[in-house]
Amino acid sequence: MPLIELGLGQENEPLGGEMEVKYINPFINAAQTVFKTMLNIDAKMGKPILKNEKTTSGDISGIMGLAGDRKGTICISFHDKGALFVFKTLVGEECESINPEVVDSIGELTNIISGQARKEFEQTGLNLKAAIPMVVVGKNVEVNFITKIPIISLPFYFSINNGTQEIMYLDFSFE
Amino acid sequence: MKVLVVDDFATMRKIVKNVLKQINIENVVEAENGKHALNVLNSEEIDLIISDWMMPEMTGIEFLKVCKEDDEKKKIPFIMVTAEGQKGSVMEAIKSGVDNYIVKPFTPDKLKDAIDRARTRAGK
Repeated sequence: MPLIELGLGQENEPLGGEMEVKYINPFINAAQTVFKTMLNIDAKMGKPILKNEKTTSGDISGIMGLAGDRKGTICISFHDKGALFVFKTLVGEECESINPEVVDSIGELTNIISGQARKEFEQTGLNLKAAIPMVVVGKNVEVNFITKIPIISLPFYFSINNGTQEIMYLDFSFE
Repeated sequence: MKVLVVDDFATMRKIVKNVLKQINIENVVEAENGKHALNVLNSEEIDLIISDWMMPEMTGIEFLKVCKEDDEKKKIPFIMVTAEGQKGSVMEAIKSGVDNYIVKPFTPDKLKDAIDRARTRAGK
């Protein structure tokens, strides 16, 4: 199994001996706020997991580095169907397969989630700057998360048109 | 109302157009940076500008400054869109005369509110 289950500790308690829980909440709030405002979707978060492999979780992934008072990387990842649904909801156009426009829309969504997370961090006194997002298409693409600590993977569940459930993974490593 | 949407990402322009459509604004023209937007303003009558911040060739803040130094263009309500809610960038836009700004992510209601406030501030 590449993934191991993660038990969340109390506020400020080191997570897995490495990452404080207070660094996770801004990412959770950012993902759910952006889903609600931009997509009008209540994304339900599943159990966070600690990921040993530094690879993308879905088929199309937006990756962005963060620097400033802390450093790290976030990776927003969808399976094809989820990405196509996000594109349709954001842009208002149907698309049958992953094309450059869908890639751009995932990059923009990554940019917006990162911006929202930075705003949440700013409220806790941490200032961060972000790079331009990069989008990769493909499964299990190796990602350099910059940090030495493990990757936290937050799964967010949402329903698409036919009622089937899709997942957005927000993977990050932050120190 | 005719709206000029300025963003270097075609997909982001479509996203903004999609949100505008949800608040019944469908008369939209697009430009991919400040320079292109100035050409549009010189050839078409525009009622509102919604511009991104970070763009190549001419950024949103540079475009805003050019507009606000022009006797005619400064009358057009100008909304700046940014992904960063950081105070420094917002303050620079306010000092340069922006009529309103909106931080991504935004709902259709939030955009409508930003438009209404920008138009009121610009006396439209």
